[in-house]
Amino acid sequence: MLKVSGLSTGYGKLQILRGIDLNVAEGGIVTLLGGNGTGKSTFLKALSGLLPVWEGSIEFDGQKIQNLPPHEIVRCGLTQVTQGKDAYPAMTVEENLKLGAYVRKDKIAIAEDLERVYSFFPRLLERRTQLAATLSGGEVQMLVIGRGLMARPKLLMLDEPSAALAPKIIMDIFATINRIRKSGVSILMVEQNVRMALLLAEYGYIIRDGVILIKGDAKDLINDPNVKKSFLGGTVANSTHEIKA
Amino acid sequence: MDFDFSSLFAFLLFGVTIGVVYGIVALGISLIYSGLDIVHFAHGEIYMFGAFFGLVFSHTMGFPYPVALLLAMVCAAVLGMGIERVFYRRLTKGGGGYTVAGMGMIICGFGMSIVLMNIAFLIWGAAAEPFPVDLGMPFQLGDITLPKSYALTAVVAVLLMAALHYFLKKTKLGLAVRAVAANKDIAYLMGINVPMMISLIFGLACGIAAAAGVLIGPMQSVQVEMGYLMLLKAFAAAVVGGFGSLPGAIAGGIVVGIAENLGAAYISPNHKDIYAFLLLILVLMIKPSGLFGIVARVKA
Repeated sequence: MLKVSGLSTGYGKLQILRGIDLNVAEGGIVTLLGGNGTGKSTFLKALSGLLPVWEGSIEFDGQKIQNLPPHEIVRCGLTQVTQGKDAYPAMTVEENLKLGAYVRKDKIAIAEDLERVYSFFPRLLERRTQLAATLSGGEVQMLVIGRGLMARPKLLMLDEPSAALAPKIIMDIFATINRIRKSGVSILMVEQNVRMALLLAEYGYIIRDGVILIKGDAKDLINDPNVKKSFLGGTVANSTHEIKA
Repeated sequence: MDFDFSSLFAFLLFGVTIGVVYGIVALGISLIYSGLDIVHFAHGEIYMFGAFFGLVFSHTMGFPYPVALLLAMVCAAVLGMGIERVFYRRLTKGGGGYTVAGMGMIICGFGMSIVLMNIAFLIWGAAAEPFPVDLGMPFQLGDITLPKSYALTAVVAVLLMAALHYFLKKTKLGLAVRAVAANKDIAYLMGINVPMMISLIFGLACGIAAAAGVLIGPMQSVQVEMGYLMLLKAFAAAVVGGFGSLPGAIAGGIVVGIAENLGAAYISPNHKDIYAFLLLILVLMIKPSGLFGIVARVKA
């Protein structure tokens, strides 16, 4: 569904990504893992069209999308969910969600999807008339994921959905991501929380300094001594919880 | 000697009327500021062009005054969008506000102001043109005679504000405009055509400025150099109300209008134009975020 080959990009003259190859199959979850400053978010920005592609190609759903303007890429069915701090704080929860459906004209289906998002995240229904600025960190994360779903994407790209959240809330968010996948949306998830991401995904890539270091099936990666040594750690990562849908 | 309350009331009334006009020009300046993080220094000239468009439509072509008002708004909006598309977009693409490109944008605005003034000079000449509009007999409110043009100004200004408020708060396009104003990258990710929305913001702001021009025309006269004083007063109004805040722009305009009229009446009529700037300096000294700056704390 998504096929990235030899992608290079950066900011101004500063090159960040050096030839990234990455594929996402339909109906699955693929995760891109790495620490701070390794180029994960830059990669998503290049896919969304917010950064120009220097070299390489991005093929989505059989169509070359590199260097299309970002608003047209969204119309192709590729939606990026940024981190929670990027909700519109001065708008209400419902306004934020409606903005997610901006590219769509089908009013009835939009209303249905709004109900669907509220069923994924009942907390948002309780807070629908509140300003996004008044939400907690976990609620804002739910809001931006819900807003991404409102575009009815074929592929949802999530930028660190677990960033700066409490372990309990991370479990909730990941369980919901699993439910979203089961509802038929493919997912590309960028994460730092390596173990949790690998428990959820089928396939993983590990990025460092703008190149893919290791890639493989998630269940192989999770037992890979190299991955274990260099990336696994922290409280949530050692959690033995199973992710339930 | 008894204090003359009815003349005080008249000064207040005239102050509010002229103030809402400052307010709607300030509204445009604030709209552009919140959308692009730039101050548009050619906005006074758009207002002047709007007044001339109104004059041409109502006198040369003989359209009724309200129709001329609408046509002038449309023409000025198209003019503004054209200027944005051809000249400003190259600069705003690099970022507005406090970036280097934002600085260039300010210079470009000043330049555009001079260019527009000279174009108007070539077309219409330097003489002040009267803009007589026959709206019928003035209203009589007790001892005060209120010309109909003043009443019309207040009504149109309130309608414009209400329409803008409705547009921004209740329509999908308005929601997109607010999204672009608050965060352009995220707006892109929502699938919003950001450059088009910026054009729209410019068109709206310029259309509103033209309305102010056509409303002021009958009260004063239409002249090539009318723009800069309006720009400065609208700028003062925007700062007094809290820069970037739309309700603040209107409130600031009314405060400036009242201060100006009371100053002229009770201090010295020869220095009428000073009071707006005295107020501006005072507000910047005492409360730099503007009297209603709290509203502008979060954009959109």
